[in-house]
Amino acid sequence: MRRTLVIVLVIAVLLVLGFIYYALDPATSSVFPQCTFLSITGYKCPGCGSQRAIHALLNGDVKEAFGYNAMMMVAIPWIVVCLFAESQRTRRPRLYQRLNAPLLIWLFLVMVLAWWLLRNIFDW
Amino acid sequence: MQYWINHNGVQSGPVDADGIKELALTSRAYVWHPGLSDWVKITQVPELEGLYEVVDEPATVGQPLQPQNTAPAQQPMNSQPVNTQPEGAPEPCPPTNLVWAIITTVLCCLPAGIVAIIYAMKVTSKYREGDIEGAKRASEVGAWWCIVSIILGILSMPLISLLQVSSMP
Repeated sequence: MRRTLVIVLVIAVLLVLGFIYYALDPATSSVFPQCTFLSITGYKCPGCGSQRAIHALLNGDVKEAFGYNAMMMVAIPWIVVCLFAESQRTRRPRLYQRLNAPLLIWLFLVMVLAWWLLRNIFDW
Repeated sequence: MQYWINHNGVQSGPVDADGIKELALTSRAYVWHPGLSDWVKITQVPELEGLYEVVDEPATVGQPLQPQNTAPAQQPMNSQPVNTQPEGAPEPCPPTNLVWAIITTVLCCLPAGIVAIIYAMKVTSKYREGDIEGAKRASEVGAWWCIVSIILGILSMPLISLLQVSSMP
């Protein structure tokens, strides 16, 4: 009962947020918060551009979304697969174990750090 | 029913019957589930029949690393079913929080999510070394980094926006 309520609430919040990000463009609208890290340091963080990328994605423009934050576009399928593995942990233990293997997490970490460095050098 | 498995010294669980099929076990595997006082050979668990491959039995291979005493199978079974795990029973790997670490890295602008990713890695590597306590600690610390990242992200972004608006000419 409580679990259902939580799920319904989460879906409702996601729908509202989804609609806001679909309708308003963070690139031109000022209601969206700007990245704290960028504001303070002047350097982009690995997540910068995610809001614009989500807007582009919700409007069906995959190429533009890649341009705003390519790493987010890589992370989304990763997150989906991880969530699936999490929910199927007792049914498919090997999938969960493989996804959470130190080597794979390490690869993701290297990707994030490389992305962080390169995007600040080449202004991606 | 959830089972814990020890196959050739590698422990996994909790898994259900479908999970056991996926693990591609052989008859050398040992099983524990709530209600058992100690590890038993998978061949002694009738409801799992057909879910593993029957192989020839070398005398020593496949002996579980834990529990240390080697005679549980010969001991008379505890007449009272127990619902706690026996000494040295495998514990499931604590949550790595990997999903949250990735989400906070991508969506919260403070790079605290990266620390959470490092701790996610620590959870599995410590668990695989057999350091369950260390894995639990890494899991908790990682979860805190995710929470810090989310809270600081939510709190700091409107503040920064306000500062920028107020500093505009």
